[in-house]
Amino acid sequence: MPASQLSTLVKQKPYLMWGGKGGLGKTTFSAATGYWLSEQGKKVLVFSVDPQASLSDIFKQDIFGKGPVKIKDNLWAQEIDADSHIKAYQQEIRQKILDLYGFSEVPEEVENYIQAASAEPAMEESAIFDAVVDIVVTGSYDYYIYDLVPLGHALYYLSMAKVYDEWINKITRLRQEMAEYEQVANVMKRQKASEEDQILHELQYIKGRINASSSILTDRQKTAFFFVVVPEEMIILDTQKAAELFARFEVPIAGYVVNRVVPTELAQQNVPEYLKHRITMQQRYLTEIGSTFGNQVLAQVPELERDVTGLPAIEQLARIMYG
Amino acid sequence: MPDNPLKRLFSTARDVMYGMASHDMSRYALRTRASMEHLFILITMGDLLGVPILPPYYSLRLLPYVVPQISTWKRRMLRERDITDALG
Repeated sequence: MPASQLSTLVKQKPYLMWGGKGGLGKTTFSAATGYWLSEQGKKVLVFSVDPQASLSDIFKQDIFGKGPVKIKDNLWAQEIDADSHIKAYQQEIRQKILDLYGFSEVPEEVENYIQAASAEPAMEESAIFDAVVDIVVTGSYDYYIYDLVPLGHALYYLSMAKVYDEWINKITRLRQEMAEYEQVANVMKRQKASEEDQILHELQYIKGRINASSSILTDRQKTAFFFVVVPEEMIILDTQKAAELFARFEVPIAGYVVNRVVPTELAQQNVPEYLKHRITMQQRYLTEIGSTFGNQVLAQVPELERDVTGLPAIEQLARIMYG
Repeated sequence: MPDNPLKRLFSTARDVMYGMASHDMSRYALRTRASMEHLFILITMGDLLGVPILPPYYSLRLLPYVVPQISTWKRRMLRERDITDALG
């Protein structure tokens, strides 16, 4: 499996997502891919939506909640601070209520609702995916590399987007029906037409946002989704399951990259039995990965002698991955 | 405003016709609309009654527009009901 296969695929689509179970190397591969593309003269943004994001760690620079931070020529990185995003959003809602009704403060009941709503766990996911729409729509980068949250969250969001979409369709219809009744009453009373329904406008806006954010994940023309796997039984099984679910939500899966492969040359040398066993085990699972994912396996990345942090290490990894 | 008596007659006749024929209908239409308004708030703002219906990120966007209706809506939703409701 030539490394060039991966580089061809990576160049084809502007939205590149790295997904997989936690701790397998999503962030590392995102950073290395960003590095390589930026070296090719492309403007790249690597961003993470994970509240426990580790882009700051890998680039050895605190970028949390600071917007896009320039790492090197052509390369920016961003970690979204969901919390402050939600706070700003709440404030926007409060201000709107004050402006609309000329209140001096938000009524207690309504304030309680705003507080309670923001404590819901789903709030964070929605806020994050909503922020992603802004990043991708307003950004002027050639490539957006998306260091995804662990699989569960992404699936949860995708399914939520589907439910949301149907929900909005339903209430939009309800809203339109309401407008019809009002019109009937107006005609009979010979009153002039009522003002435009603001809520209907909002609903249409919301629908647009939700479609935009889920289509970023599912756009065949623009998105390529890469899975990170390691040669271990449990990971292979879990990845297989996740891939099926993702396929069901129409996420375009571009392929799989195997991480942490212990070089087989080591087995020829005088190494402890322990390591030899590991190598044999990995070879077995590599065969399994080959038969499970076939020609969708794009590259194998060796276990490195040290962890990847800082630009020199990222550069080294980028060279291994993309040549 | 001095009015043409014929015009006044027409206008009165129109009001009478409205009262006889369509007043009930328009009242019905408005009532249906009000019920739907409450249903709408229930679907979007269910959390206010402790009935979370959907993740609230986007429903917060709608909140400002329904603030005035919230108190009547709550009263209506939480009101005790009995047999006379069904008869009425």
